[in-house]
Amino acid sequence: MSEIADDKKDMVGYTQQPGKLPFARPGSGGKDTFSRLQDKSMIPESQGGDRKQPWGPHKHDKLVSSTAIGKRTPMVDSRWKVTGQAQYGDDVRLPGELIGKILRSPHHHAFVKSIDTSKAEALSGVIAVATGKDASSNFGVLPVTKDEHAMAVEKVRHVGDLVACVAAEDEATALQALSLIEVEYEILDSIHDMKQGLEDAASPIHDRGKYHIGESNIQKRVFQEFGDVAGIDTNAVANSKSTWKFGGVNHGFTEPHAVAASWDPSGRLTIYTPQQVPHYLHRSLADVLEIPMHQINVFRTFVGGGFGGKSDPFPHEMCAAILSRKSGRPVRITFDREEVFHVNRGRHPSIIEMNLHADEEGRLCGIETDALIDGGAFASFGHVTTYYNGVLHTAPYEIGAFHYTGARVWTNKPASGAMRGHGAVNSRCAVEVGIDEISDKLEVDPITFRLANLLPPYSATITGFRVTSIGMRECLEKVRAACNWEKRFRNLPLGHGLGLGCGFFISGSGLPIHWDPNKFPHATVHLKVDMDGGVTVHTGAAEIGQGSDTVISQAVAEVLGLPLDMIRMRSKESDTSPVDLGSYSSRVTFMNANAAISASMQIRDELISATAEITGADEKHLVIGDRRIYDKLDPAVGVSYLEALHKAQEERGALVASGAYRTPPMGRMHKGAAAGLAPAYSFSAYAAEVKVDPETGQTKVLKVWAAHDCGKALNPLAVEGQIIGSCHMGMGQVLSEEMKYGRTGHLLNPNLLDYKIPTVHEMPEVVPIIVESNDPEGPFGAKEAGEGPLLPILPAVCNAVFDAIGVRINELPITPDRMHRRITALCKELGIDDPLDLPSPRLSHSDLQLTLEERAEEHAERDLARLLDDAREEYHNGALFGLDPTIAGDEQDSRWEVAILPSEEYMASPRLAGSAWKHTERRHRGEAE
Amino acid sequence: MPPFTLHMPESLEEALGIAGQLAESGADFDWVAGGTDLLPNYKWHINHKPNVISLANVAELSKLTPNHIGAMVRLNDLVESEDTHSLVQAAAASVASVMIRRSGTVGGNICLDTRCFWFNQSEEWRDSIDWCYKCDCGTGADCRVIPNQNTLCVATYQADLAPALMCLGATVHLASPDGAREMLLSDFFLEDGITRNQLEPGEMVTHVTLPEEAAGLEGAYQKLRLRESWDFPEAGVAAAWRVAGGELLDLRVATTGLESIPKLHREEADAARAEWAGEESVAGLAESIRKAVQPVNNTYFPPSYRRKMVPVLAKRALSKLKNISSAN
Repeated sequence: MSEIADDKKDMVGYTQQPGKLPFARPGSGGKDTFSRLQDKSMIPESQGGDRKQPWGPHKHDKLVSSTAIGKRTPMVDSRWKVTGQAQYGDDVRLPGELIGKILRSPHHHAFVKSIDTSKAEALSGVIAVATGKDASSNFGVLPVTKDEHAMAVEKVRHVGDLVACVAAEDEATALQALSLIEVEYEILDSIHDMKQGLEDAASPIHDRGKYHIGESNIQKRVFQEFGDVAGIDTNAVANSKSTWKFGGVNHGFTEPHAVAASWDPSGRLTIYTPQQVPHYLHRSLADVLEIPMHQINVFRTFVGGGFGGKSDPFPHEMCAAILSRKSGRPVRITFDREEVFHVNRGRHPSIIEMNLHADEEGRLCGIETDALIDGGAFASFGHVTTYYNGVLHTAPYEIGAFHYTGARVWTNKPASGAMRGHGAVNSRCAVEVGIDEISDKLEVDPITFRLANLLPPYSATITGFRVTSIGMRECLEKVRAACNWEKRFRNLPLGHGLGLGCGFFISGSGLPIHWDPNKFPHATVHLKVDMDGGVTVHTGAAEIGQGSDTVISQAVAEVLGLPLDMIRMRSKESDTSPVDLGSYSSRVTFMNANAAISASMQIRDELISATAEITGADEKHLVIGDRRIYDKLDPAVGVSYLEALHKAQEERGALVASGAYRTPPMGRMHKGAAAGLAPAYSFSAYAAEVKVDPETGQTKVLKVWAAHDCGKALNPLAVEGQIIGSCHMGMGQVLSEEMKYGRTGHLLNPNLLDYKIPTVHEMPEVVPIIVESNDPEGPFGAKEAGEGPLLPILPAVCNAVFDAIGVRINELPITPDRMHRRITALCKELGIDDPLDLPSPRLSHSDLQLTLEERAEEHAERDLARLLDDAREEYHNGALFGLDPTIAGDEQDSRWEVAILPSEEYMASPRLAGSAWKHTERRHRGEAE
Repeated sequence: MPPFTLHMPESLEEALGIAGQLAESGADFDWVAGGTDLLPNYKWHINHKPNVISLANVAELSKLTPNHIGAMVRLNDLVESEDTHSLVQAAAASVASVMIRRSGTVGGNICLDTRCFWFNQSEEWRDSIDWCYKCDCGTGADCRVIPNQNTLCVATYQADLAPALMCLGATVHLASPDGAREMLLSDFFLEDGITRNQLEPGEMVTHVTLPEEAAGLEGAYQKLRLRESWDFPEAGVAAAWRVAGGELLDLRVATTGLESIPKLHREEADAARAEWAGEESVAGLAESIRKAVQPVNNTYFPPSYRRKMVPVLAKRALSKLKNISSAN
């Protein structure tokens, strides 16, 4: 007790003003009465603390108060979830609500000739029925490709496409009403093979008017040429050429889509929905319902998993709103799993030709990629996906040439879209498997090969991406040591293998989807701090289970030196939250935490001024600890947080602040240059150990060592969770998950029994290894950890399979039947009867190995020097090939010219996706729309 | 879930009484035991009936001794009981997941409905392919697996217990309002994905008995599936044998997950045993089992792969006999 007495006695500077009602002198705020000084072990060296900074200081170092950042922190909303009190989409219950159900197309492709809803409307208990006529405006997540409608307006484009919807007093009545709706269809030819989408069709799935590409079903095509493409053949001494097939995969989140819509008596719409990107839904609702945005409140419920699958504005959200408007009552629509597969937006089924070339010095003198991706019935994010399949593998390696042709086609299937690792996953897998093969051909260790070909920090990729921090080298080195690579790679017995794969991903898309001339920020955070000391944070960042609320709370808590329970998140409603672009492209930690820091700094400044006023100390020396602001030269001089706060509130009440984040100007000017730009990039390297049964072809992943460079782990617990979860999700795609279509074009497995997500039995031990490269612009140095960690697991497993049994994978998933077929073929090729007699791959190094080891060492020194030198020169991709590093390749060497249109020469024998360029857009054929 | 009237009898007699009454009044019904097969099908409006008789409260069907396994014994209890033959235990432990095994029963597993990816789908899905032969909803729809042959449903039997029990010589006991009867489990199944077995309308499986000699048999069960949990067998091979004094005295092999019914391969096993010569015989028998089955394309894995895996599974199930070289 004496401590409290001492504490009270020591309180300096707080006096009750005369004439006011007495109220208790403030403590420090928070549950614990005692405030604390900073924990020196958490304070960076640059601020006189003990935390080492081998890669230099960071601009946010002075904001570190040692209270929240870098601590293993359970999610701030986890108690709501584990006690079952979190309200997910389907938990919303509104008084008088109706149940909405959707009538879906039984046909792949058909004109809707007529819809007769009279019998459904006459059914007792049916309150409203709606069809495409009730909302004919088109929408879509990308402004350039709005090709969706709430319900079919003219035609249906896949089995499961929306035709009509019903709101009734109960589910049974709604279902009965659906069966009473009579629809007359005129069936059209349907397309199920993505290759067919490249050809002219009698009735293309969409009509883009003057922008339509030929009469084909090509939704987007990309041609890009960088570096010395013409020189590849001359320069290359080893090649890896492979044509990959990737099955489509679905996010497989736990919570099916669910939405509730309610028009209130004042004429405003509130829509409750588990959305990753509430703001784009907000815009689309305004378009479709033809009402101003301010009349809509988008209420994001708890989200039971998104992974990109809840980031489009969806037709069922429009349907709920339309039905609510028609019926005058709240309407709730909840999907079953089959409907989730109908709406899909999962990873594109793809055919990717990946050709890698290495020269005699073991440099990657060329990457040639041709990616045909199957978009299904709608554009969704596909415009971006088409670029990402190419541009996101122009790093982390320095390359001599990059040739990319990509095309996305419409087919009569559920729409593909954005899924964790958007657009980067498949082609990355192909690149990393290609590097394993090319290393084999050069007879060098694949890790050494990678270490000798990395771009340095603060460099520009061949396509002009500005890369800042790079922790790739450390990821590779740590994984190599952890898995005992040197001893075990290419040395394990038949059926047992070790493999490695790397990843590179954007930490927030540099360009907002809805760009505009007003320089709107990407993220905005509002803070309100009243006399109770709690901080209310208003943000539109969507907490989707990834820990968005937690990381923003941590950022605010760190800057203000507060415990997390004093931070109150208000991130659910667009009415109260400033606009945020949403939870996609792994942007929230980077952008929203930066905005939160910016807002918190304003409050912090006010607290420090108030403290200076109370104590008379010099502001320059004041620092913030745990609810204590004090003079770092004389820690006895200081006040509690509440004292400072109350002083700052004099004459004005609650402190408020608004902080925002907008990406800096980046990138180059060619068409498509913005795709893939990000304020920072994450890097990762995983090693996987597998067992392959030579007789059955069954593959089991035994263990994964997973190193990820997230800049700075603001919450190491969450980063590890993301790494482990990514391994699970990626393993599903590599081993078992696939949307399977039958000979009639129907999706055969729209349920979680036959859509094979790995179970706990399939899940290996994952050893997460966090690498902190201290990004200069990231909040406290942080970058993303939500999507990038998925990329390396696929190639790591594929390469481990090769190490185990000598089969070079080029089709995912590696289901046992496919693996068995490949093993049988290999046996035949080698003249072996029993697969148990297959040789296990071995590797003996060529002379090049030593050259690469030496180069890797030199580069390691080069990289460290660049990190620590603030006056570092520019470094453009190409220096490794003898170009001047300070100038972009195309500006100094005519062979490095950039092309974004195919030459006639190329079109003489285009590759698969490249053949999309054989068509001419209607507007260029001199035809009217 | 389509609406139905649920009947909850407390005894076998009452259950059969209800069945008799319903049959008399011409009302269609299903028995339900654990519900893990029937209810998902009902949710998808697959061959649902207006009446369902639950056996959950019929205590006499849960008897479990080394030679008597009641139809209502939960699969998980079978796994955990010390009275269970190790081969049956192995097969039961491989069924679905722990959660499902806690509901799923022995009778339900034996009588599991046959499966097919054109059939185990929602009503809307089946509507969009114009239905199929197994559940044609009155349309006379064609079989989607092997078109133009509406005489046989080729849906696949994908349950694990039957081959194990068949190898042990199990007898299945049936009851109906007309009385009780019994037969060897290996005679119980009928080659058609719709008919499936010998059960007459209103008849049910009450229990399975094992002969005394079963205790002297050793056995193994091998199951092919993509994941180690949940997944139905894409192929399954059970084997049981008796070895004494270095001699192979008895040998049985049965398969599941490959055709519309599980099969006991009596002739193949007997022929192999007659000239048993260790590893070579294992391979020979495995090959003859492969030839004896004809999977079709209606489960997750392609039929060619499932068939190729039969000898691998058989070899693994019989691996303990590799070093037994003499026959009786």
